[in-house]
Amino acid sequence: MPASPIGALLCLPLAVLLSAACAGLESTPASVPPGGPAPGSVAQGGTTPPSATPPQKAAQPLDATRGGAGASAPPGRAATPAASAPARTGIAKTAAPASAASRAPASPAPASQAPRKESQAAAPEKPAAAPPLDLASLQQRLRQTNAIGVVTKIALKNQVDDLLEQFRAYYQGRQHTTLAALRQPYDRLLLKVLALLQDGDPSLAGAISASREAIWGVLADPVKFASIRD
Amino acid sequence: MRPRIEKWALVVAWAASAASPLRAADDPALLKDLTAVIALLGLPCGQVIGAVRQGNNDHVATCKDGNRYRVFVNPEGRVVARKQ
Repeated sequence: MPASPIGALLCLPLAVLLSAACAGLESTPASVPPGGPAPGSVAQGGTTPPSATPPQKAAQPLDATRGGAGASAPPGRAATPAASAPARTGIAKTAAPASAASRAPASPAPASQAPRKESQAAAPEKPAAAPPLDLASLQQRLRQTNAIGVVTKIALKNQVDDLLEQFRAYYQGRQHTTLAALRQPYDRLLLKVLALLQDGDPSLAGAISASREAIWGVLADPVKFASIRD
Repeated sequence: MRPRIEKWALVVAWAASAASPLRAADDPALLKDLTAVIALLGLPCGQVIGAVRQGNNDHVATCKDGNRYRVFVNPEGRVVARKQ
């Protein structure tokens, strides 16, 4: 069986998810720090202007408890409240170790702490601005990657379809569960994909990892999910 | 002369039929693919060390831990790994 049709079959559901994520990303002005995404950063539906999140601060603590929207917070961030809420939690967990280290250099300059806090407040809601997702490129890469064999691609497609069906059943009331419960199979599936790609195609694995929260933001929003189903 | 030719034809035909379940043990990419699929399905295997092709996308995989699975794509398009 030729690889390309199978790859297309696999890419279709992933591409649908990624396209919706991309649409979410495109709905707000994208800003990319010159240094690229900071470690541990994830793509979000909304964005932060470059001035508000310089590369140094992009890796700052994504402390969800630092309240208040920064003055530099872009209006577009409100476009993805559903995505930001779960993302904020996940980001706060992953960025917690970084927060302690990043606070130390800031202490000697109280005057700079105010804008710093604003940027940090902006950071939890829009952590590390990741480069905009090039969906076409990602589709092509998925189709051509040699890191995953044909049968594995089919098996992954099956599992993606199963996951989408779970979300479909949830939104239709056929499955009594919660979004938090659905997050687990989603994370497991992403981990499987990343595990398959990380050795053979680490750049693609990184791209998918960076879009994890963006894709979840689409799945967790019933309106966006309905649009990708159509 | 004619029976000899027929005899050799039979031998050739038998050799061809014996070769049809092709041993794919020398294809590391296939073994890796089958290993990944079985692991993806959550089945114990460790590593696929040998595979026999049964048909298109249909293999019997032999695992390092002794398990054997038939890995194939069913008519519904789902990958199935059935323990042998």
